[in-house]
Amino acid sequence: MNFLATSIESLGAKVVGWFGVGYGIFAFLAQAVLLLLDRATWNRATFDVVIKQVYFTAVQILTVFLGYALVISWLIITIILSTARDFGLTEFASEMTIRVLVLELLPFLTALFVALRSGSAINTEVALMQVNNELDALAHCKVPPMQFEFLPRLIGGVVSVITLAGLAGLLALLMAYLTIYGINMAGFEPFTRTIAKVFDFRIVAGLIVKCALFGLAVTLIPVTAGLETPKKLFMVPVSVLRGMMRVFFAIVAIEVVSLALKYI
Amino acid sequence: MAAVAALPDDVARVALELPLRANLSALDNIALIPLYQRHYGAAESALQAQAMLDRLGYADIALLRDPDMTPAQRFVTKLARALILKRPRLVVDRPGAMLYDVPYPSFIRQLAAQADMTGTWEIYDFSWNQVLYNQALNSE
Repeated sequence: MNFLATSIESLGAKVVGWFGVGYGIFAFLAQAVLLLLDRATWNRATFDVVIKQVYFTAVQILTVFLGYALVISWLIITIILSTARDFGLTEFASEMTIRVLVLELLPFLTALFVALRSGSAINTEVALMQVNNELDALAHCKVPPMQFEFLPRLIGGVVSVITLAGLAGLLALLMAYLTIYGINMAGFEPFTRTIAKVFDFRIVAGLIVKCALFGLAVTLIPVTAGLETPKKLFMVPVSVLRGMMRVFFAIVAIEVVSLALKYI
Repeated sequence: MAAVAALPDDVARVALELPLRANLSALDNIALIPLYQRHYGAAESALQAQAMLDRLGYADIALLRDPDMTPAQRFVTKLARALILKRPRLVVDRPGAMLYDVPYPSFIRQLAAQADMTGTWEIYDFSWNQVLYNQALNSE
């Protein structure tokens, strides 16, 4: 009986903890959105930091990322094409490629890529800033940390994931065309018709919203996890571990909800 | 020392607990103040920050980041950041904790003479360090 009570208490504490974390993330997001809507936020200094963040998150990794997207796309397209040939379904290969690669897999992998590279760095940096009192120092100097440190990272993450996923999608479309039809214009008309059929307004809007949510998840969650860090240096790795686990669950949850909305 | 942390908003503090942004250079740490508080452009803010370092006699540390600075250079950057805030009072909180590589009473006195700013400078230090200040005064 005692064991049961302890288990229920422990479960209850965990659930309350999850709600606390969720509330903290959404409260922070609300604060960021309010600041975003404030005209005073949009000065040259904030804009410069946003540009810098987009550079660090997206431009700096562009070649590596596109190379990685190219290899993954080529592999998946080849698998889809050979499977479609085996079953005599070659005419569906291009649609299958677009749906699997461009709409689902590449945005998901882009989010994972940015999370592992930039999300973990953001989590560590914010946690160190918290532990070293750097945020207190900024507050003492009346330099708003939200405007200077956090908001540019959120915007940078959203812009980066949308553009990287878009670029990877374009590259995958090009690869799909070349793999299915080869270097000639014979398949241009049916291929573009398939693209037009798949990419209706609802799907494009859904894709952009999904990528924006991925971008938010890979920046917002590491920032809030970093801010939760107790002022003890040994807690920094724990903070990064927690933050990255939450990012992973958030990315998977966004993908699952997106799939459910599209296909169920 | 809790009293120092609870000082009002019109006090600029130089303290161990108020570090520099580790991934910014000395110049950028100082330039943040005109950039975000007075909404100057990036170039003008950098000029003001450089002028402040020049005045303190440490123009050459502009591009150094916190981990690359000596304790004295770090202190000067923090002091420049506090001075550019242009608050009427400046409090140096336990300088011995930050300036362990120089005889700090005379070092601060020298910086104060170079800074040539309006307003008051106050030093909060442990009473047993009083003798160091007396020695610095007697040696002049």
